[in-house]
Amino acid sequence: MTPPSNPKVPATSRTTRPSARATGAGDARPTRGRIVFGLVAVAVIGFAALIASLSVREAGSVLDVSDVAGSVAIEGDPLIPLLDEGADPALGAAAPVVTGQDFDGSEVVIGGASGRGQVIVFLASWCPVCERELPEIVRFVDGGGVPEGVDLVAVATGLDASRPNWPPQDWFEREGFEGTVLRDDAVGTVAATYGLQGTPYWVVLDANGRVVGRVGGYVEPSDLGGLFELALAAG
Amino acid sequence: MTPVINRFLGLLALVAILVALVALVAIVRRRVPVWLADAALPLATAVALVATLGSLYYSEVAGYPPCTLCWYQRIAMYPLVVVVGVAALRRDRSVWLPATILSGIGAAVSVWHLFIERNPQLGGACDPSNPCAILWVREFGFLTIPTMALIGFVTIALLTLAAATAARTLTTDDPAGDALEGQDRP
Repeated sequence: MTPPSNPKVPATSRTTRPSARATGAGDARPTRGRIVFGLVAVAVIGFAALIASLSVREAGSVLDVSDVAGSVAIEGDPLIPLLDEGADPALGAAAPVVTGQDFDGSEVVIGGASGRGQVIVFLASWCPVCERELPEIVRFVDGGGVPEGVDLVAVATGLDASRPNWPPQDWFEREGFEGTVLRDDAVGTVAATYGLQGTPYWVVLDANGRVVGRVGGYVEPSDLGGLFELALAAG
Repeated sequence: MTPVINRFLGLLALVAILVALVALVAIVRRRVPVWLADAALPLATAVALVATLGSLYYSEVAGYPPCTLCWYQRIAMYPLVVVVGVAALRRDRSVWLPATILSGIGAAVSVWHLFIERNPQLGGACDPSNPCAILWVREFGFLTIPTMALIGFVTIALLTLAAATAARTLTTDDPAGDALEGQDRP
């Protein structure tokens, strides 16, 4: 495509006024073609508006954050937020013990010396990286990737009813995640207590409830096994 | 209301794709229909205006906070309303140059935004406040906000180029005016 070299002459008029030719401007009076175009444009926009209003069925009642958020009890000191670079200062620290509920209301506990390793993954349903990660986690779990002696717990955090992929329980169900899910509270207290900077966020605890690893961001499927082995080996 | 707006803007984006294809064919063939030569600049203005109003609706009414890349695309799109709009009023087809530059910058950002959208894991962890990869809109399975912005930028660029091509073919390559299909001879 060759850039035009002299586009200053209006195409609809063979006799352009000298002043208009000098500035590249043409006759600004409306022509029959422009009027027809305007009518066609209005018709297209109106037709699109009509189709849109008729074809979209507004969603019914949706759950609010307060309907989804859990209430949590926390014991212990919060973890230092995960740093972007360098050694993780939280390694070896005792993770706070959080008692909350899953989507069915059953009690869920993360942290503490449970005698089993724990891999905790913080996920937000609106987070595109989490949307990419969860199916990989499901495949890993369904493939028997979780070793004996290690528990996987997902934490549904970043609750926001105005964002896409709401509510999170529908997302977990749709993706086929059948593991334990702890509901964070409305302001993300559990995530903040565990030092979350972004989602997804992984915290690996040994059998004594001490932090042996933390990862922020997407974990490749091939690296998931190593994360779980870390909890097992350290425990 | 927002789902209806999403569908409305999605439908207009599909129409814009058709218009862009027509403009592209006209440019390649160097034969611009009269109706397109006449309507190209007003049409490009309309595309920029709809894109601008759509983005303002999403941020100010629907409550979708613009991400960093969204702002860069806004910086390219908003001036096009004035630049191409004034040119449309004055029938100034030399506007193809600034319009194409602005559209090119905007389109480049849109392509990068689309890449991040399709590969969110490459961007690291999601910023809890406002990640660029979040899919606020996904109409017809593929039309996201940066997709619609890209369609807008490309359409505006092609329309202004079509208008300029019509002028050029008339004055240099086609003194008889045959390039303007259907043009009444003086």
